[in-house]
Amino acid sequence: MRIGIVCPYSWDVPGGVQFHVRDLAEHFLRQGHEVSVLAPADDDAPLPAYLTSCGRAVPVRYNGSVARLSFGPVTSARVTRWLEAGKFDVLHLHEPVTPSASVLALWASSEPVVATFHTANLRSRAMHTANPLLRPSMEKIRGRIAVSEEARATVRRHLGGEAYIIPNGVDVSRFAVATRRPDWVGTPERPTLAFLGRVDEPRKGLEVALRALPAVLDRHPGARLLVAGPGDATDLLRDADRRAAAAVEVLGAVSDPDKAALLRSVDAYVAPHRGGESFGIVLVEAMAAGAPVVASDLAAFAAVLDGGRTGVLFETGSDAGLSRAVLDLLADPSRAQALRSVGQQRARVFDWDVVADRVMAVYETVIEGAESEPDGPMPRGLWGRLVRGVPTGGGQ
Amino acid sequence: MIDILQVSTFLVILLIGVAWYLSYSAARLDRLHAKVEGAMSALDAQLVRRAEAALELANSGALDPASALLVADAATESLERTTEQPVSDDLLDGQHFGGREAVEADLSAVLRAALTDDVVEGLRARDDDLASEALDLVGASALRVRLARRFHNDAAREVRRVRAKGSVRLFRLAGYATMPEAVEFDDDPPATLGR
Repeated sequence: MRIGIVCPYSWDVPGGVQFHVRDLAEHFLRQGHEVSVLAPADDDAPLPAYLTSCGRAVPVRYNGSVARLSFGPVTSARVTRWLEAGKFDVLHLHEPVTPSASVLALWASSEPVVATFHTANLRSRAMHTANPLLRPSMEKIRGRIAVSEEARATVRRHLGGEAYIIPNGVDVSRFAVATRRPDWVGTPERPTLAFLGRVDEPRKGLEVALRALPAVLDRHPGARLLVAGPGDATDLLRDADRRAAAAVEVLGAVSDPDKAALLRSVDAYVAPHRGGESFGIVLVEAMAAGAPVVASDLAAFAAVLDGGRTGVLFETGSDAGLSRAVLDLLADPSRAQALRSVGQQRARVFDWDVVADRVMAVYETVIEGAESEPDGPMPRGLWGRLVRGVPTGGGQ
Repeated sequence: MIDILQVSTFLVILLIGVAWYLSYSAARLDRLHAKVEGAMSALDAQLVRRAEAALELANSGALDPASALLVADAATESLERTTEQPVSDDLLDGQHFGGREAVEADLSAVLRAALTDDVVEGLRARDDDLASEALDLVGASALRVRLARRFHNDAAREVRRVRAKGSVRLFRLAGYATMPEAVEFDDDPPATLGR
């Protein structure tokens, strides 16, 4: 199958959508499909062979934060050229309402279109006021995918209609076979806990973990909290309890292999997030690595942990809840062992093998629908669009 | 004199604008109708595939005779309805599912009842290629039925929204095309196959 995938965010900057597109594209390539990805990227940057740049990305304020997007006549021309050269069987757009390459590709496309929505909190005013502008081209989308329940709610609220949920994928095998690092492996006297995420971002909840730590240290004086993630933790540690601060080891930003090794080694992974999470990919990674997960009971986390069956949930923001959950887990090795094995089973649901198969099912369903449409001349170019409206790849 | 010229020029421009808008809307609506028809055909094809896969599983001898009978019965019913009342016929006079909702919902329910987690686990453990393959087919087609139904309903909703617009109603841009309806039936797949 010839698959065209469009990523609206700059390829040079790491981000959830970019990783998702990369993993999906590489998975389909391994299966023998022809895949081409279009994304904003610096032309002189080293790019994978399957990637086509639609131009340099410009930082713009959008949806409450600064995003690196690509737009304008040059980008538009490149998008059209990519579509014409690609002759794709299916076009898969990510974040199709972000004013970047995806919108342009949707506008210019005549292929069957699948769209994936990632954002949980879409705040764009344009989604309300300029809806007539977007609507006709949105009608070209034949299959909508949302990565989570929250993302689906956004689709419902802003665009109307449904979306089928296909979660983010994780390369489960990579985490399952990572080698343990001896200095991160816990012992009964010195158990280790892991925290992952930006340390200076309040919604990641490091502060909750620091407040919970003294109660854990009362029972296990040698316990250590390994904190991995970018950001400056000095302020937080200065304000925290002295004993808690002493039990923290700041690892800074870690590489992917180190992250896998960390999750493989520790006695528990704690996710004290306070909100704003639409999925919780780290929880899946922790389960894949076989780390028992202790997480706040956010809707997204409860969904990943199958309602608490494959991990321990505590009340969001409650340090007492967190310390109690961690102590219970450390006191009961057989429970921890059981969580490790159900967690590894659960993680397989999110493996790219499973996830990509479902995406492929969407492609096939959409292509079948497009092929069984009553045929008609396909309008191309600006004139065709003006006179005949927006093409959907069929019609009479 | 000039006034008349100005007014008539304005009127001509206005008329051209209205004509363009109407033809644009009609073309857009046409394509939306075509999209619904395509989506309906896809749904129909997936339903046939699901029934065939279920029948194959029932005939493979992997299930116990009682379950096999139930599955075969529901699958045959679905296949008979498809051949008796092909959706492609209905397409000629509009979008109808031909009242097959109940039959398809029955098949979904029977598949769920017959293929419980334990049964699926047992079949997989038996290392019987034929049964495994039939299970995979049932799972794959059940997933595609779900997708096709949702995509069809999305397309139908878009048509209904455009056809609710005043200009479309006033100028009868939809012609004689029947209003597409959402297709609602229980399509939940057996738990272990649905993931």
